[in-house]
Amino acid sequence: MIGKKKAAHAELNEKTDIKTPVSEMIRKFKKQKNAVVALVFILFLVFLAFFGEALAPFKINEYDYSSILQGPSGAHWFGTDEFGRDLFSRIISGTKISLAVGLSAVSVGAICGTVLGLLGGYYRGIIDSIIMRICDTLFAFPGIILAIAIVAILGSGIGNVVIAVSVFSTPTFARLVRGRTLALKNSVFVQAAKNLGASDARILFRHILPGAIPEIIVQFTMSVGSSILTASSLSFLGMGAQPPTPEWGLLLANGRNYMMTSLHCTLFPGLAIFLTVLSFNILGDGLRDALDPKLTD
Amino acid sequence: MLRYTLKRIVGVIPTLIIVVTFVFFFVRMIPGDPARLVAGEQATLEDVESVREQLGLNQPIPVQYVKYVTGLVKGDLGMSLRTKRPVLTEVSARYGNTMALTVASLVWSTIVGVLLGVWSGKNRGKWQDFTGMTLAVSGISLPNFWIGFLLIMLFAVKLRWLPTTGAGSFKNLILPAITLGTSIAAIIARFTRSSIVEVLKEDYIRTARAKGLKEKTVTWGHAFRNSMISVVTVVGLQFGFLLGGSVVTEAVFAYPGLGQLLIESVNYRDYPAIQSLILIFSLQFIIINLVVDILYAILNPEIKLS
Repeated sequence: MIGKKKAAHAELNEKTDIKTPVSEMIRKFKKQKNAVVALVFILFLVFLAFFGEALAPFKINEYDYSSILQGPSGAHWFGTDEFGRDLFSRIISGTKISLAVGLSAVSVGAICGTVLGLLGGYYRGIIDSIIMRICDTLFAFPGIILAIAIVAILGSGIGNVVIAVSVFSTPTFARLVRGRTLALKNSVFVQAAKNLGASDARILFRHILPGAIPEIIVQFTMSVGSSILTASSLSFLGMGAQPPTPEWGLLLANGRNYMMTSLHCTLFPGLAIFLTVLSFNILGDGLRDALDPKLTD
Repeated sequence: MLRYTLKRIVGVIPTLIIVVTFVFFFVRMIPGDPARLVAGEQATLEDVESVREQLGLNQPIPVQYVKYVTGLVKGDLGMSLRTKRPVLTEVSARYGNTMALTVASLVWSTIVGVLLGVWSGKNRGKWQDFTGMTLAVSGISLPNFWIGFLLIMLFAVKLRWLPTTGAGSFKNLILPAITLGTSIAAIIARFTRSSIVEVLKEDYIRTARAKGLKEKTVTWGHAFRNSMISVVTVVGLQFGFLLGGSVVTEAVFAYPGLGQLLIESVNYRDYPAIQSLILIFSLQFIIINLVVDILYAILNPEIKLS
């Protein structure tokens, strides 16, 4: 009986073009093996972010001049750098920097973009025009150029990189949420809520926002991957994290000086960035497919 | 068509004005006194003041703005604080290098991306699809400075086939172009695949197969041609990204292009140069997007122009 009701409910959802609920997304997501593996790997990275530094065999700034620039060995799995610091420990400890930068920057961008998109799409008029103009302007700069410009003003440093990445991820979310808001604004349930006397805030956050959440989640996941790349690129260019922070992009930039003799100094930090970004991208793909109503199982 | 084109061009003008204004004020927020920077550490207060007057920095911001805009219209981008030469000279000396790198990257990545996408798309769900899309998702996840280093190690250091740095010859272009184009090839492959998958569901594909056409003709003559409309858009947009995205690649290969000039200018706080470069990058981006939009309208017969 209840099952039947649920099926009818789902059917109704499809017909009135309401986004599939989050639970439906999870059910479809579980069928994507790659994405599940990626999620497990990301959870492992989160674990490393919290406990990596404590679990690492060496301290991140533990100098050992008797073993500089050594290749990978039993004692130093990823080898050592020019001060004899253990690269494995530094990379593990760097996990929390990359994850924190990616997640916090995209979270700020997502929240700002969502609020702007909801406001613009719902109220239209002058607010919408202003918001969309700002978005157009931000979109008129290739992402990394905008980030470099912001860092040029604020100065180098990981905190400013977070600000730069948040700024350029905001318009993407604003456009996405605005589009959903425009589509949902005239739907039956929003009209019904309005007629029942619900406040604008209630309509926006309780009725329209949930319909945009699955798409926001997909965009969020994809953006985290690209933000980690951008942040590490800025650190690589000397505009982000400063030494002796074990930030991956910075480790790689540092390793280039010893590239000819000690390839491990560039190989492993790059591999860490690659695998992290890859898992976010695969997760994002999986979530997108789980969300796509055209891909029925 | 002409009316649509004109309408689009006119529509871009407000964005251009906002971008120019935005860049002007943005760069004036950079901390540090440019006059002090030009005059040098040892300069006296009077020296600094005279430099300030020379640079026009003692004037009120609105006056500076008007001067800047009228200068832009005349093609005057100001003087570089670092090299004491016109920014336009600096830019034009390097523009060709960045353009060559961008075009080379776009050409190979389009060819490889489209082939990989078609191969994956027409074999949807099979091992070819899995291989192609695994390569593609890896391509968009690779940090390009890392690819650059690995390529240098392999082809320049170990095999000694290609030079590590510099610009000017075709050999100099190969490694940077591979580095810069990898993620673009991956993006194009992903897009082509989904476009092909969509097109293969169409009725006219079924008709083509039903009338007994060879699978090759169906793939290339029907599916490929129709999916290209949207692929052209993506390729065009990537062109804009490449022109800006070359910053990191240029840094890896010490490639004397606009990206490197930007980094040098940022490090020196050479704000006339930073201002002009950011403006050039975004103008290119806007113009390319505009051209792509118009091209899409020309290519796609379904768009009703009214």
